[in-house]
Amino acid sequence: MLTAVAQAIVNGLLIGGIYSLVSIGVTLIFGVVKIVNFAQGEFVMIGMYISFFLATRFGIDPLVSLAVSMPVLFVIGMLLQHFLIRRVLALGDMPQIFLTFALSLLLMNVALLLFTANYRTVETPYSEAAIHLGGITVAVAKLIAFVVAMVLSLVLWVFLHATDLGKAMRAAAQNRDVAMLMGINPDRVFAVAVGVSLALAGAAGSLLMPFYPAYPMVGQVFVLMAFVAVVLGTLGNVTGALIASLMMGVAESLGIQFVGADSGLIVVFAMLLLTLAVRPSGLFGGWTR
Amino acid sequence: MASSGQQASPLPRGRREFVLRSAGAVLAAGAIGTSRRACAADVVNIGALYPVTGSFAQIGQGCVNAATLAVQMVNDAGGIKALGGARLKLIVSDVQSDTTVTRTETDRLISGYRPAAIHGCFASALTLIASEVAERAKIPLLTGSSSDQLNRGHRYTFTPFARASQFAQAQLRMARLVSDKPKVAVIFENTAFGTSTSNGLREQAPAEGVEIVLFEPYSAGLTDAAPLINKVKESGANMLFPVSYLNDLILIVRAIKQVGLDIAINGGSGGFVIPDFYKNVGTLAEGLLGVAHWNHDIDADAQAVNAAYQKQYGEFLFEYAGGLVAQTFMIAAALERAASTDPKKVRDALATLDLTEGHAAMCPGGRVKFGPDGKNIYAHPVGVQWQHGDLATVFPAADAHSPLLKP
Repeated sequence: MLTAVAQAIVNGLLIGGIYSLVSIGVTLIFGVVKIVNFAQGEFVMIGMYISFFLATRFGIDPLVSLAVSMPVLFVIGMLLQHFLIRRVLALGDMPQIFLTFALSLLLMNVALLLFTANYRTVETPYSEAAIHLGGITVAVAKLIAFVVAMVLSLVLWVFLHATDLGKAMRAAAQNRDVAMLMGINPDRVFAVAVGVSLALAGAAGSLLMPFYPAYPMVGQVFVLMAFVAVVLGTLGNVTGALIASLMMGVAESLGIQFVGADSGLIVVFAMLLLTLAVRPSGLFGGWTR
Repeated sequence: MASSGQQASPLPRGRREFVLRSAGAVLAAGAIGTSRRACAADVVNIGALYPVTGSFAQIGQGCVNAATLAVQMVNDAGGIKALGGARLKLIVSDVQSDTTVTRTETDRLISGYRPAAIHGCFASALTLIASEVAERAKIPLLTGSSSDQLNRGHRYTFTPFARASQFAQAQLRMARLVSDKPKVAVIFENTAFGTSTSNGLREQAPAEGVEIVLFEPYSAGLTDAAPLINKVKESGANMLFPVSYLNDLILIVRAIKQVGLDIAINGGSGGFVIPDFYKNVGTLAEGLLGVAHWNHDIDADAQAVNAAYQKQYGEFLFEYAGGLVAQTFMIAAALERAASTDPKKVRDALATLDLTEGHAAMCPGGRVKFGPDGKNIYAHPVGVQWQHGDLATVFPAADAHSPLLKP
């Protein structure tokens, strides 16, 4: 029994690490640019296909291709902000929602056209490897993904708190008008924020590839959890999204283990509703300071 | 690139080739023209209803390929002798993976070509509709679709292969290959497909002496199979029946390997037993068990047809397509017996067939005799196992061609 609980918690934390990369990306864009990116999952999908093709064509390990998927998606993010998001920022919520939602549909269908609906897997030496610790199984590929996700989150935290650009980003998030008055160039800050956010989605994709199949709709699987984590962890709060993602992974895993395998999401959504009833702005008020 | 370069570069030779080819084409067209006129009455139309576009397109195209190959085999062997060597002509109609289109296409095929018989449509939902239309038009329809509903109140529908109810039974009996006291965990996605299939398994389990120790629905589209496999592990099962689509199955198989769980897996039929499954899952598929109504190693004829198909299309002849080759020969046998292309006479001939040899009997059980409900009374499914990228028949013992690899 105790082993089952411990195993469920370990499973939940590991998958929570992946959720966190997606949800941090969503919350970062929302916090800084004030736009909800419904296409975040599709950028995870792009990251997965980048790693898939590098692995199958050139034999590059998906973890190594992190060095390709992250910069590529960073650039895509900068371009996305410059050519699309920037143009709808002044137009209110609806055009922004339509923009990212349309982008999501477009990317899924282009992927369907280019790559077909087939599932693609990459077999790495560690894909099915596991560490056994006193009856508890820790999947190596997921452990690597979790550790890298935590390192990337830490790097982001340091970037936001210790660099001028990061501080400018937080300032723009807190109060855009005042930040501009202080000489912060919002275009540049926003472009970097979207770039970083998409780079994180790309990282999630590459980290998933050793143990999860890629297909055009794969982003939808993860983006739902990411949105719940973003709301639970307070919109725009990076640390909040991270903690909420881990909590949700554990709640889902415990739910599957002890309530029923079709009830994992019920537990997660019950947790969300309960939190919102008590703390309408999420678990962590405001932007991380 | 290489091929376009070859086409473009040698111009002078290209011109000579063009003259030769066009002369050949003119001659050939003339020959076809005369032969068509000479044999106009000696062609028997066979309708083929398959989804070659839409979600089932890939499988539908495979069916058409196999049906074309089968018609060619019948014609190469001299056609229908009772009809003076009449040739079979395959009329392919695309039912587009869509029920409405299936209805209109079946109508169009029947009124436009008056086929002596029809076969189709792979997906049970489409076949049910086509069989209604064929019934009204009094045209015999053969199908490999497994829905038991096809055998209710139909005089013109013939099902040479195992029925859905037999599949569950075979899957449960295969559990005994693995253990004398099979303890089965059934995990199924909570969709119509998942619940109906798993309920069928649960209902028949007691009669087959199989204990179901875990019966667990899950939400399709798993992010992580580890918690689910954790439950399977806790249940103490020695066999797992996942009723899942491919993406979840990949996660399930990997999670089992990670946990180091020693458990046999039987994924049932359908998408589990087509070449595409192995392409997507790769070596993870090795040793996995499934159930099929036909397999390419069941007898020498099947093996020969498979070799021909593999040479032409680059992958093994899958369950449904292989069954189609046998069906084409059943239609040919009925035409011989009826000595007529009248669909009603062909139907009566089909109803009285009793075939034990040749390509028509290339079925599990090796014999074709239709009962009053159109069911082949000798049909049964076979248990298959993925071995070295190929599907080997391992169950029942009478049909098995390869030893079971311990999963």
